[in-house]
Amino acid sequence: MAKTRSIDFASITLRDALDFASLVEEEARERYGELADQMEIHHNPDVARFFSFMRDVEQKHEERLAARRRSLFGDAPRQVTRDMIFDVEAPEYDEARANMTVRHALDAALRSETKAFEFFDAAVAQVKDDEVRKLFTELRKDELEHQELVKKELAKLPPSGPEGYGEEDEPVAL
Amino acid sequence: MNTAETDGRTYLAKDFKTDLKPIWCPGCGDFGVLQAIHRALAAVGRAPHDIAFVSGIGCSSRIPGYTTAYGFNSVHGRALPIAQGLKLANPDLLVLVAGGDGDGFSIGGGHVPHAIRRNVDLTYIVMDNQIYGLTKGQLSPTSPRGLKTVTSELGSLEEPVNPLLYVLAYGANFVAQGTPADMSGLAEVIEAAIRYPGFSFVNVQSPCVTFGEEHQQVKAHRTAMKPLAAMGHDTTDRLAAMGLAQKYGQELHTGVFYKNPTPPPSLDVQVRERQASMAEKAVPRERIFDAFLQK
Repeated sequence: MAKTRSIDFASITLRDALDFASLVEEEARERYGELADQMEIHHNPDVARFFSFMRDVEQKHEERLAARRRSLFGDAPRQVTRDMIFDVEAPEYDEARANMTVRHALDAALRSETKAFEFFDAAVAQVKDDEVRKLFTELRKDELEHQELVKKELAKLPPSGPEGYGEEDEPVAL
Repeated sequence: MNTAETDGRTYLAKDFKTDLKPIWCPGCGDFGVLQAIHRALAAVGRAPHDIAFVSGIGCSSRIPGYTTAYGFNSVHGRALPIAQGLKLANPDLLVLVAGGDGDGFSIGGGHVPHAIRRNVDLTYIVMDNQIYGLTKGQLSPTSPRGLKTVTSELGSLEEPVNPLLYVLAYGANFVAQGTPADMSGLAEVIEAAIRYPGFSFVNVQSPCVTFGEEHQQVKAHRTAMKPLAAMGHDTTDRLAAMGLAQKYGQELHTGVFYKNPTPPPSLDVQVRERQASMAEKAVPRERIFDAFLQK
């Protein structure tokens, strides 16, 4: 459930907005990394590869935003911290299953991009600063483009089977 | 929380994350609980070397290994006595205890009332998944009546333990419940529990993705949860809290059930005060040792 704590979008400055956006990407990068680790531990290399790919994508976004922040505001201290952000773009932990397929993983990524789009869409409506509105509008557009990318990848996969996850061996108590 | 000062440094949740990768089943509720604990610890601001995390045995009891702090993955059901000893020996430590519903209310069930009545300053987090997951899905003390498992093929005939009512009835001064479906809310109640001076209890409905029922999963929690704050619940009213706690297993109330507004002194504080008052009369250690040698 996407949530933020102690952030007032109506009065947020451009510097804080850039930090916020970069931390949203950081959270997503870390979560995709965790999911990739989970899949590796549970011997699901194809999905692990996909989640690692998503981790790298999020890292690029994070670096791009961080560079923009540095060029505008240098090393001025951050007011926004990671602890104010909960699952804005990061896929939720319960999206993962040991026996998930690449299609399930792409569906999860699509839900996350949609969630992020909806988040920025709602935030734009609250923002009063023109520069921040421009930034959030841009980020909202990015999320829409990411959704299209994921949909294209989904279209490349063979038709899906029945809903839900397939049968699997009983997990081994580790 | 104990009285030791924070060191002035700002800690982030990731400062409490270890390099050890959790081996829980993907989709397990415990991933969200771990994240919420790390966020709560960051908010409290104590250094990792000022924190001790004790657990019993079970999936959830692996949590100290995934947290940067002193950790003790102890004996099944015995996390509470170990944690109480730890706190009394070193009252400056912030002590967290974690375990599952089986560890807390079956194997270690006898320790819970005593931890409550002693009121040692620690936070007990139970990851309640209503099943024994690590041993592949047997009935646990909080399994609902009628649940079909490998040990109850025709459905359980037993009534479950109600963890909330249990601790409230024994006089716990801080009682809360959360779910990983609301990580922000869960981090908040864990933080509040840590900050509470004395024994604090947080029941986390943390679904078992492998052996749990569909209606117990995180997705179902998102629609079922009822935050107590939004209901206007008075957290200082123990009887009202007990009334709500009776809905355990039928309704998913989240937030603080009960918080004693006038916390009684915790045992560790009383012991410290008694030690201080007796210090002047105390016989030096060397003299005690000499007495033994002379005999």
